[in-house]
Amino acid sequence: MKVFLTGATSLLGRTVALQLLERGDQVTTFQRQPSGLDTTEILGDLRDPSAIASAARGHDSVIHLAALVTPRPSWEDAVAVNVDGTMAVRDAARGAERFVFISSPSVAFHGAPTTGGASGIARYAGRDHYTATKAMAERLVLERLEVPTVVIRPHLVWGPGDTQLVGRLVDRANSGRLRLIDHGLALIDTTYIDDAAAAIVAGLDAATPNSPAVGRAWTVTGNDPRPVGELISGIVRAMGVDRTLRSIPAPIARILGTVLERVWRGDEPPLTSFAAQQMSMAHWFDQRAVHSALEWQPTVSVTEGLRRLAASRER
Amino acid sequence: MTPPPSPALLRRLGLDPTWSSEVTFTGSDGRPVTWHYLDTGRQPETTATLVCVHGNPTWSYLWRGLLEQLPPTWRVIAVDQTGMGFSERNRPRRYADRVDELVTFCRTVADGPLALAAHDWGGAIAMGAAPHLPVTHLILSNTAIAKPDGVAVPPLIAVARRFAGLICQYTWGFVEGTALMTERRHRAALRAPYRGAARRSAVAEFVADIPVRPSDPSFAALAAAADALEGLVVPTLLVFGGRDPVFHDRFLADLHTRLPHASVERIADCGHLAPLDASFPGTVAAWLTETPAIERPVVSEDRPPGGSVYDTIEHHVDDAAVILGIGDHQYSWSTLATKRAIAASVLQEHGIGVGDKVAVLVQPGLDLLVAVAALWAVGAVPVVADLTGGLRQLRRLHRAAVSTAVIGSGSALAMSAVLGLVPGAKRFATDGRFGIDLQIGETLPASRFARLGPDGLAAIVHTSGATGPAKAVRYTHGALAAQRDILQRAFPIGEGAAFTTSFAPFLLLAPALERTCLLADIAFDQPGQLTSDHLVAMEQHSPIDLAWLSPAGARGVTTNGTSTPTSLRRVLLAGAPIPESLRQAVALRTSAVVDAPYGMTECLPITTGAPAPPGPHGGYPTGVPLEGCSVVIAQLDNPLADAAEGAVGEILVAAPWMFDGYDQRWTVNIATTVHRSGRRFHRTGDVGYLHNDNLYHLGRLQHVLWTSTGPLSSVAVEQPIEQRTGMTVAAVGIGPRAVQVIALVVGGTGKLRLAPPNVADSVRAGGSHPIAAVLTGELPLDRRHRSKIDRTALARDANRLLSGR
Repeated sequence: MKVFLTGATSLLGRTVALQLLERGDQVTTFQRQPSGLDTTEILGDLRDPSAIASAARGHDSVIHLAALVTPRPSWEDAVAVNVDGTMAVRDAARGAERFVFISSPSVAFHGAPTTGGASGIARYAGRDHYTATKAMAERLVLERLEVPTVVIRPHLVWGPGDTQLVGRLVDRANSGRLRLIDHGLALIDTTYIDDAAAAIVAGLDAATPNSPAVGRAWTVTGNDPRPVGELISGIVRAMGVDRTLRSIPAPIARILGTVLERVWRGDEPPLTSFAAQQMSMAHWFDQRAVHSALEWQPTVSVTEGLRRLAASRER
Repeated sequence: MTPPPSPALLRRLGLDPTWSSEVTFTGSDGRPVTWHYLDTGRQPETTATLVCVHGNPTWSYLWRGLLEQLPPTWRVIAVDQTGMGFSERNRPRRYADRVDELVTFCRTVADGPLALAAHDWGGAIAMGAAPHLPVTHLILSNTAIAKPDGVAVPPLIAVARRFAGLICQYTWGFVEGTALMTERRHRAALRAPYRGAARRSAVAEFVADIPVRPSDPSFAALAAAADALEGLVVPTLLVFGGRDPVFHDRFLADLHTRLPHASVERIADCGHLAPLDASFPGTVAAWLTETPAIERPVVSEDRPPGGSVYDTIEHHVDDAAVILGIGDHQYSWSTLATKRAIAASVLQEHGIGVGDKVAVLVQPGLDLLVAVAALWAVGAVPVVADLTGGLRQLRRLHRAAVSTAVIGSGSALAMSAVLGLVPGAKRFATDGRFGIDLQIGETLPASRFARLGPDGLAAIVHTSGATGPAKAVRYTHGALAAQRDILQRAFPIGEGAAFTTSFAPFLLLAPALERTCLLADIAFDQPGQLTSDHLVAMEQHSPIDLAWLSPAGARGVTTNGTSTPTSLRRVLLAGAPIPESLRQAVALRTSAVVDAPYGMTECLPITTGAPAPPGPHGGYPTGVPLEGCSVVIAQLDNPLADAAEGAVGEILVAAPWMFDGYDQRWTVNIATTVHRSGRRFHRTGDVGYLHNDNLYHLGRLQHVLWTSTGPLSSVAVEQPIEQRTGMTVAAVGIGPRAVQVIALVVGGTGKLRLAPPNVADSVRAGGSHPIAAVLTGELPLDRRHRSKIDRTALARDANRLLSGR
């Protein structure tokens, strides 16, 4: 396959590229900074449709992973990158045979616990600029299918080298600012980086005209839910931080998050109401349909993932 | 004229306006009368008609559930009687007039075979009309045709009757009182046709016409209808709300006596307006589809070779040998025989006879033996409940049993009177206090004992309620005789030897087995107080061949006491899955053979209980099914299909000593009965499998974890962890069925919370299944055995915690 991949500087994009290379695919990566990967690399911006169109030409497969994930982006920036950028990549993919779009489970998070819920809920929610624009992009992608398209929503990806989740947890634990909410009882499913990348590769393979995977959004997880407190303390312990985490009640955390969002002057408030809800409500999913549609299954349990995380730190 | 209800009103009340119809026919006074009725009409599929008759002060709305939910094979018609609902307000009608008009209506609107459903005083009218109509089925709900003996006119009716005008017509009292008996969403509809005193005149007339004295105008007509009922043998379903202050359980019992072939469904938590209960349409629809046969009368005709398992007492009338010993108190066969003859004569003198259900509120002891023996002597049916379940449960159980009388000690009788356990029941006292003294009277000669056939109802025993809501289990005399026979064959007790038990009610086996029962003098609801010293003390009186021990009793024997019994040959452990460690501890302490036979209130025993090696799917070995008892393993999600050979599934049993059915729970009987090659099997609700002929028990069906990789029994998850870590654990399913993940709760103290990391790690290392969450906290135990973990409550709590907020 000749794969055009956007967003290869992120851990997930990088891992996808490596898995594709390993199985012998030709990969072209497109992003703003050099990725350091052994791929054909085209540097460019998602806000430049013509650059995307010319870069994507000649590829039979397109994976669109790039998105604006900076904390608290402006609405204009979020729309330009996440919505318009996605449309540009989708248009560029017209000449290809398959298209995979990486979305986020947060586009369907309605502020209520999800316990064993169906994985492809299409009732969108947009709570902040990021989730709102990702939801818009996903809806636009699925609205009009020109090539077989699969949407993958990886759920809480983590692993060695991850700065999004692992990095933030460790920073806060180190500074003593990390708190559990309601003792971390909510059951949450996460996805180890290698499994998330493999699901995206499986999504690419499943993007064929008659596949049941096509035309739908699939939340993929490691299918190994754990109490969030256990996950968080497991991750920070694996990263060598040994601290007892204190807990605050969920309603207080939510109020605190709401207040901080309003008054915080810096880049990223230490707590948002969205984060407070994410950390105090169960979210785990019925993965049976995903496994059969993508012909993929996760292989790394939480226990094994933590072991690999610890090993990567010691190396 | 009364205008018919507008479509807008009907729609607002939740009724389909197209159902609304009117018909004019010649009324009972020879003049035309116009009735409003609801009619689902005839569809292409329609093959049968059901006519529904409301009582006072309701209207056809009452049958909304049936109108909406019966399949289109049924045309459902619900009438508004003259002066009621949206029918014509007319001159007063008496009972006989209303019967006439119902018959005329049916002939006019629904000519041909029909089913009748009726509620409250509509029931009396329908029962009066039924002999004059081609009735195929009769469904009666919270109604009556006569006042049972000893039951006062319900106070609500008496007051309403006295002040009929004031309460029923000139104020909204009666209508409102009735409306308030149901859910809020039905109230506006129940009030709708009765706004304004003029529209309520029939409500008052109806109440005034309820006959109480023979001089009342409708007394004779109602009595004649009651007499005619005897000839009415059509399939009948009695659906009664169990919390009706007016037509309470005694009325249900009275109707069941008059219609002994009826199926009975008692909705324990529902009040007077049972047809508006959510379960009512489903029950009726299921019953109509079952095309019910005329159920066998509960009491069969006398057959000479019959009798009870207590006929043995007649052989020991002069026997000074001990039949029951409690501590140092010894009671002889002859004492039992004499007391039985006197008690039986007292019961007979007070009208207790064949088929009468009598609540036995007697603590285990000689009085319990006497009470049961005397009741069987007169052909009555003892209703035995567990006295440890607390007052509320006792009240529920005994009201459900619709007993005509109560036998109890003075304190129990005083309590039953205060609590109104059995309305209007006769009270017999074992100790002469607060009731008719059972100890003073003539003696009833054995030649005058009632002898029922093997199909005759012998007893109603309540399940413990430890693993679900308590249910009333019916036993026939034939089943009890078969149970005696299998116990003698499978677990023989040597001649001249005795047995003991920590299940005090098991002393009732003594006369049947013709073996002495010795009990420790401890609180009967505290079996854990039993010690090995008690067993040794018993051996002063007689060698003990056999002991039936509950897990609590067994733990008492193994941990308390200093001496060791020498004569004990066999210990039977029962009452909950028995861990191997307990079995071995008992064997060590008593040097007896320790068996753990499988069984339950509905069927005991089922297996030999002999030890067996661990099976391939884990669980507790219970031995080989006993001769004459069939065990079938059905698929976990389909009781009609057999599981693959050796696979885990639901345990189905059939045995001649099995129970006859749950009393007054037609829907439960249907749901728990499966027929296989013509034999009636009971769905135990237990999970297990057969391996090398042995039956292995894996806990309850309701505790199965429905994971995305298939169903898993809780025991299969717990057992390896318990064996490897020594901790007491309980596995519960988190999330919706078919995608559940497993939470494991480690027994501890305090509120449920996350277990410390080291505990979680060792649990995960010890188990063979993925565990999502490891919690710890106090495990809720059932109040009776204090040994069964209430996993349903635990699962609810764990699900709440783990879903967050």
